[in-house]
Amino acid sequence: MSEQSIVVEDVSLSFPKKKSILQIFKKTDSSNFLALNSVSFSVKKGEVLGIIGRNGCGKSTLLRVIAGIFSPDTGQCRSAGKISLLAGLGTGFTGHLTGRENAFLYGSILGHEQSLMKELMKEIISFSELEAFIDEPLRTYSAGMKARLGLAVASALNPEILLIDEVLGVGDPVFKEKSKKKILDMVAEAGTVVIVSHSFDLMTSICDRVIHMNGGEIKFTGDPKEAIASYYALEQGRK
Amino acid sequence: MEGNEGHRLREIGAKDSFLFAPISSLSILYSHRFLIQNLLKRETKGRYTNSFLGYSWTVLEPALLSAVYYFLFIMLADNPDRYYPAWVIIGVIVWTCFGKCLQSTVTSLTRNASTIHLVYFPRIIFSYSSIGSTIWTTMMSSLVLLPLLLAYNVQISWQLLLVPLAIFLAAFNAVGLGLLLAPANCINRDIEHLIRFIVRAGFFVSPVMWTWDMAVERGWAADVIVWNPMVFPITLARDGFMGHVTEFPVHGVMISIAWGLLMWIIGSALFSKFEHSAVKYL
Repeated sequence: MSEQSIVVEDVSLSFPKKKSILQIFKKTDSSNFLALNSVSFSVKKGEVLGIIGRNGCGKSTLLRVIAGIFSPDTGQCRSAGKISLLAGLGTGFTGHLTGRENAFLYGSILGHEQSLMKELMKEIISFSELEAFIDEPLRTYSAGMKARLGLAVASALNPEILLIDEVLGVGDPVFKEKSKKKILDMVAEAGTVVIVSHSFDLMTSICDRVIHMNGGEIKFTGDPKEAIASYYALEQGRK
Repeated sequence: MEGNEGHRLREIGAKDSFLFAPISSLSILYSHRFLIQNLLKRETKGRYTNSFLGYSWTVLEPALLSAVYYFLFIMLADNPDRYYPAWVIIGVIVWTCFGKCLQSTVTSLTRNASTIHLVYFPRIIFSYSSIGSTIWTTMMSSLVLLPLLLAYNVQISWQLLLVPLAIFLAAFNAVGLGLLLAPANCINRDIEHLIRFIVRAGFFVSPVMWTWDMAVERGWAADVIVWNPMVFPITLARDGFMGHVTEFPVHGVMISIAWGLLMWIIGSALFSKFEHSAVKYL
């Protein structure tokens, strides 16, 4: 029996609805929004697991539970090893700091050590292709430049378990290719990976198993192609 | 977790009992020092970007404010004490430190909502780094006291070190209450508006525009006012400026320190207990 890396057992999570004055005028019931409804699954060491489903089905929430951002209302979630969540590249980026300072800030937010960041700075500058811009304030950067810097810092992550939430598809086509390659490298290196994406081609090519989620519940777990078929069957049924 | 011997799996988000929170918050501070250093840099550098005078504002702001209060007080009370402007400026500096610390801790979770949703680290780090940045800017503000020393011809003495100590005490008095209210503010933003009012009202209830000695002259007033934990830090800073250790009553010192310590213990315990449920409201 191979070792388990992540074990999610019967996890439920609900988000409280905001108490607002407008609520009086709406005739909806005030119960909480159930984002995850007794979800259970496990990921073996070295496995790449994909999660698909329509927007708002709980994919990202599930990743955040595994990353420790949200704690489940019931059930529990266990893991073996260091976990990193790759989501929203460039968390904490601040306009008035320079690219270099932002790299340090983002790196420290992701949990990098100071010595590691100093070591990696050259690599970050060359990967992000920022060169002289690195000491300019971030507010002078284009969106693509910010994304490049974000990915450059994030790709220095070296976790045992990597969680990826829709980070592909920023910048120009050339950089898009480059970033996809970088992320695939990270996937290969990390071993255990849970990835949320709408890119089904990618999912079939890299995932060992895919989970199809709907309305906070797992609809299907197994072969990527079958999971995608399950997704389309459900979406077609909706029409 | 039980019955899983030999297995490396650990529960995600498992924590020590919240009763140990004050102690574990200190070890969090140490283990995340690189992160805190970067967050501090962001907050302090961000405060005065795109301004010509930059950091001078930390000194200018209390100086200008004190000038206004000085004229106001002269008009109202015709105060004969020549040290009065110095009392006000010290009062403003120490009180502002308390007020800003309180407000920035209460809003520390709500201001960082986007980061909280994308990465996990102990959220108390946001609170502590905002406190740190306020202490730093207050220390800068207190440099305004140096020219004041010359103007008043006051001897420079070791007691001057009581001023930074008083600033620390003021910040410490704010930490606990701030930590206590930060999770509540995620659920209901009324808290931060209420705190803003309290900071404004507290300005008058604390010896910013008046001094402890003035209260003592009123007799009974001192017995009441001694229960305000901010009276001691402000008085300490003023006495330090004048080069003598404070003659503030011992029980008043105890009240101030006990408030800070008690609130810090309660605040960090409740913060760690409620932060997880609170972030779901962000």
